[in-house]
Amino acid sequence: MLCPSVEQGLFAMVYALYTASVIGAIALWMMMPRRGYNPRKIGAILGAATLGGTWLVLSRELPGDLGISRVAFGYSYIFSAIAIIAAVRVITHNRPVYSALWFVLVVLSSAGLFLTLDAQFMALAMVIIYGGAILVTYVFVIMLAAQADDPEGKQVVTEYDAVAREPAGAIAAGFLLLAVLLGVYFQPGSLVANPDAAAPSDAQLIASTLTDRPAKKIEDRLGADATDRTQHLDNIERIGLDLFTSHPLGLELAGVILLVSLVGAVVIARQRVENEPIVPDTQP
Amino acid sequence: MNDIALAHYLFTGAVLFALGMVGFVTRRNMILMFLCTEMMFQGVVVSLVGFSRLHGNDTGQTFVIFVLTIAAAEAALALGLVVLLYRRKRTLDAGAWAELNG
Repeated sequence: MLCPSVEQGLFAMVYALYTASVIGAIALWMMMPRRGYNPRKIGAILGAATLGGTWLVLSRELPGDLGISRVAFGYSYIFSAIAIIAAVRVITHNRPVYSALWFVLVVLSSAGLFLTLDAQFMALAMVIIYGGAILVTYVFVIMLAAQADDPEGKQVVTEYDAVAREPAGAIAAGFLLLAVLLGVYFQPGSLVANPDAAAPSDAQLIASTLTDRPAKKIEDRLGADATDRTQHLDNIERIGLDLFTSHPLGLELAGVILLVSLVGAVVIARQRVENEPIVPDTQP
Repeated sequence: MNDIALAHYLFTGAVLFALGMVGFVTRRNMILMFLCTEMMFQGVVVSLVGFSRLHGNDTGQTFVIFVLTIAAAEAALALGLVVLLYRRKRTLDAGAWAELNG
């Protein structure tokens, strides 16, 4: 049970989060793309100050024992800051190609966050699949549909990229959701580790499922420090075991979804368009 | 992993999700709207991996694989549709298709 003063501090933290959500919403509203006077710099400074202040208030309540290494937790602040700044740039930049490139930064920094959480496989899968495959598709389509620059070589920003649609209402709704989520997350006792949910230990998994794991081979190859490796599973080994022993149906369904979307994408892309302009209007 | 330390990771996930939602509603470029849904996926994925670490269970990370599958399928289909719509009207403005509202 928490002592009353600690509990009071935690509740004060929740109100600090509500205040930060409001100020953050105002900062984001200032940064939204619009014509005319655009207080983007003021919004950026206000937003950065809000984020930093929030973390200062939150980190005061951190207990001595984090359960993960302090260095990794320190890095998580850096990666979080990069991810959030890049995410703001994705939704406020008025040129789509740059938005896509900032999104690559969001992906890379969340991969960094996964590394601090000991999820190495997910971190690399994220970089390869998101940063490498999905984002390249996006950038291709953006370039396919790009507006041509005007004759003087000045870059044209189209009307629909330059002006946001209903920014005030959308930001109010989004940050209301954010405030509620953060209030719940930081309420004392709302996140409790469930000891029954813990996966079996490495030794149990090796004994029950990986009975023909070539321990001898590992020992031969690694020599002296092999005793450690033969009794411990890597992150990727644990995920593979979990995927194939606990979620075989999900795995099959994922395969079906990929096949269906492959067929669907080909059907959609091959469709003929009536009244398609023969000479594209992007030509000067 | 401590619950307050986890809440810091969930903070990042929630912010990414909220920003993606705001972006989806405010941006009028159809490609960027779908890019913002990918950002919401990112927020969810960060939370999933955090919870996986809190409970010491790898299923959270396994779900990330499924999220990636859906994201890849969504990107392929959505971008195919966007290209089709662009070929019809030569614009990426979602407002150009406002006549579709019931």
